[in-house]
Amino acid sequence: MEEKVLNRGQQKVRSNVLDAGLCTGCGACINLCPYYQSYRGKTAVLFPCTIDEGRCFAYCPKIEVDLEELSQRLFGKPYDGSPLGSCQSVLMSKATDIIKGSKPQAGGTVSALMYYALKKGFIDGAVLMDRQGLLPVPHFVGDANDVLACSQSKYTAAPALAEVNQAVKDGYKNIGMVGTPCQVLSAAKMRMNPLMKEDFIDPFGLIIGLFCTWAIDYRLFEPFVIKKIDIDQIEKIDIPPPPAEILQIFGKNGEKLEIPLSEIRELVPKGCSYCVDMTSEFSDLSVGVMEGRPDMNTLIIRTDRARRLVYGAQEEGYLQVSEMPEENLEHLMWAAGNKKRKGLIKACDEGLINATEETNSYLKIRQDILNKLIA
Amino acid sequence: MSHLTDTKKDASYLVMGNEAIVRGAIEAGVNVASGYPGTPSSEIIESLSRVASERNLYVEWSVNEKVALEVAAAASFAQLRSLCAMKQNGVNVASDFLLHLVGSGTRGGFVLVTCDDPGALSSVNEGESRYFSRLMEIPLLEPGNFQEAKDMTKWAFELSEELKQIVVVRSVTRMSHASGNIRYGELPDIERKAEFKYSGFIFDPEEGVVISAPVDWKHQQQQAKVKRAMEIFENCPFNTYEGPDKPELLLITSSACYLYSKEAVNVLGIEDRVGILKLGTTWPLPPKLLAKNLSRTQKIMIVEEVLPFLEENVKILAAEMAAEIGVKTFYGKKDGTIPMTNELNPDLVISGLSKILGMEYVPVSAEYDQLAKLSAFVGAPARDQVFCPGCPHRASFLSIHNALELDGRKGFVCGDIGCYSMAVRPTGFETLKTLHSMGSGMGVASGFGKLGQFGMDQPILAVCGDSTFYHAVIPALVNAVHNKANITLVVLDNSGTAMTGFQPHPGLDYNVMGDEVPCIDVAKICSAIGARVEITDPFDLKGTREMLNNLIEDSNGVKVLIMRKACALSPQRKNKKDFEMRVDETICLGEECGCNRFCTRIFRCPGLVWNEKKKKAEIDQVICAGCGVCADICPQHAIVKEEVA
Repeated sequence: MEEKVLNRGQQKVRSNVLDAGLCTGCGACINLCPYYQSYRGKTAVLFPCTIDEGRCFAYCPKIEVDLEELSQRLFGKPYDGSPLGSCQSVLMSKATDIIKGSKPQAGGTVSALMYYALKKGFIDGAVLMDRQGLLPVPHFVGDANDVLACSQSKYTAAPALAEVNQAVKDGYKNIGMVGTPCQVLSAAKMRMNPLMKEDFIDPFGLIIGLFCTWAIDYRLFEPFVIKKIDIDQIEKIDIPPPPAEILQIFGKNGEKLEIPLSEIRELVPKGCSYCVDMTSEFSDLSVGVMEGRPDMNTLIIRTDRARRLVYGAQEEGYLQVSEMPEENLEHLMWAAGNKKRKGLIKACDEGLINATEETNSYLKIRQDILNKLIA
Repeated sequence: MSHLTDTKKDASYLVMGNEAIVRGAIEAGVNVASGYPGTPSSEIIESLSRVASERNLYVEWSVNEKVALEVAAAASFAQLRSLCAMKQNGVNVASDFLLHLVGSGTRGGFVLVTCDDPGALSSVNEGESRYFSRLMEIPLLEPGNFQEAKDMTKWAFELSEELKQIVVVRSVTRMSHASGNIRYGELPDIERKAEFKYSGFIFDPEEGVVISAPVDWKHQQQQAKVKRAMEIFENCPFNTYEGPDKPELLLITSSACYLYSKEAVNVLGIEDRVGILKLGTTWPLPPKLLAKNLSRTQKIMIVEEVLPFLEENVKILAAEMAAEIGVKTFYGKKDGTIPMTNELNPDLVISGLSKILGMEYVPVSAEYDQLAKLSAFVGAPARDQVFCPGCPHRASFLSIHNALELDGRKGFVCGDIGCYSMAVRPTGFETLKTLHSMGSGMGVASGFGKLGQFGMDQPILAVCGDSTFYHAVIPALVNAVHNKANITLVVLDNSGTAMTGFQPHPGLDYNVMGDEVPCIDVAKICSAIGARVEITDPFDLKGTREMLNNLIEDSNGVKVLIMRKACALSPQRKNKKDFEMRVDETICLGEECGCNRFCTRIFRCPGLVWNEKKKKAEIDQVICAGCGVCADICPQHAIVKEEVA
């Protein structure tokens, strides 16, 4: 009997991700070919592609994500489903004022580390997120001083990986990236040489993951906000840690708009509800706002190169690092575990985990681990 | 000197049917000619324009068929001889004026030439203009060969002057665009002076006001003219009978179908069994002539294109005259002997005849037929209708398609008639979703643009060409702006009436006679009407696409984007390459991930060729127009353009 060739290309990405509403607009399929383009936060397929095995499928964080394989390849150990993923240490951190003109949000750890990584040549360039009005726009920066312009939080889904793909095309081989869990997941898939290319080189020198519970759909956010504030005059957007339960938008002329999170949650893309990763588990290091300490960051070090970077930045006075209090850690684990469990249950209910036809799986995960996590 | 103005006695020329019509008009001493371009009619006005100065004619391409008929009518009112030419659907456009014109009557000989397109070879309809003659109650002539095309046209002017009524000469594609030998007649040297007389009594057809009222009285006059035409047609030499005195079957036909019928009878060798009544005057039908011929036999077959116009009219007469001529059996469209749609050919007539006469006729053996079909299926390359190499429409529709896909709200484009109609096909990325008459894309879009209150949230676009813009889009644009429809109009301005052969239009600074004339600016008109107007070069793919998305997102009423680039076949661009193009095979990705033959599979300019052996794209240097657009769509920059010095 002839073996059925499963499509691992645009056809499957279209049916299982885009049409199914799972896409979060990470940009992993953009700038690879003429068929996909991102526009105002949405991924569009311009024309059908007939290739059976494509990078769009291989890099997509919403299709055939093998957690076991990722964990083995990136961290050299099995995926155990622990809430924060593979960690070497969990710390609290804060940027120093050594970088002039910096106005980062919360503790400023991400900006400080990217600045330091670029300055010291850990990486050749970095994909960061700039903002035009409300719209996050990925930027490839080669100069440490350009990091500061991109230092603020965005909260809307954005095609960061599109810029990575472009940088790879332009020949960069040691790229830094800051991304949300879905973006970090596609970067992790890229790093595994999914199409088994002989001349493959892992293009990433540093991946900083952000903590994320959900993002906002730009197409819904813009009409929602545009009635309330001039979006070209936005200075800063912030979601203060619980129990504030609000999103704040600050205008350049001192205006301040507060929107209850209950209204914002209506604007979250469907794809976010399947996410099982709060802390960007497949990064080199992950950073989030520390609960109860809006001036500090939580910092998770996952890899050796991340540890070297953090301690270098600390030694040279860019970053202050200290131990994380036990109770904060416990709460972080509870929150991350909760998101993982909810995402897994939803994906399970819809048959998206370990599906019989493998290309129909969103996640592949060892059955015993899965059972433990959703019990 | 044009071959159409040769004054040599008995000169004989091989001419196109449309040229025969032109020669007939010149022999009739036509003074004024107008029209709107449309295949298969366009050569009539073009040929007349070439002899305009020599024969002291005024010839114009009018903005649309209605205005063309009005322009030509004025000449008739001023006692000149005038001709108006258009394709079949043009008559629909002109019909409102026509209805009033037939009521008022005409003065100088006035001939409306309509060139129908059975089978829609160059149309998106196969409309029948003959019914207008019955509806409007005016005489209709149909030439059955090329000599008649000339002679009948000349006679139509005389008939028109005698009846004080417009006369229709109806041609079809196979008459207008085929060629045949004709013998010329003399050219007149009468000078007519134009004067419009209006001081007479209101009922005076020569010197009163020209008006269709008082309607009852005028309508009676009009019907008296039809009756008079009927009498004239009884003895008209354009109605002929050939065949045995008492044939088994009488075949009644007109126009190009006469030629198919003659061939069919000849092929079957049944000249002694079948008689052919060829009618040149098909409305009103001369009853005595019909009575005489219908009396020849019991079986009547009617062969015509497209609708059963003759068939219906003959049947009515036959019913009226049943007591005199007896009951007949009719074969034609109604009983399925002849197909009801598409153009005819000798084979179809043969198959109808052999069925009626119980003859066995096999045009080709079944074996041959099957082999021919098989080899066509296997051997003939799949060819779709495509935009030419270098055509600005391909770039324009790529940008429109991409803008709509990026927008993602299931937007669509309403279109109309022009080369850009092909955007319903893959060559235009299947971007057009409605396609009707001239200017209707904008009118339909104007309607879609008001459906928001019923939940429609799809972006709505319309496209039109530059010539179409003047023809019929302006009223729809006014309507859309006035009624606050939220839509975007794209004017594909390729600097001429490209599809029919670059006839000038009001946007250009020269006319069909080569005079310098003021040009009417599309952008200024749209601005004055109150639309937001932008202009881009469609070869600037990025700028055009971004502008489109910007306009689509602007929910503030009507937006107009003029995409301006001359047609690749236009006099200013033809045979002039901006760039020499080549493919760098070392970097062409071919079928690999990252390209998958984007240029030859999706963009599909005929100048790009897929080399199956090398698995690389190539430029077909013979047909490449050197526009350079493919260099911008190649994801790998493997298509290289070098500016031609």
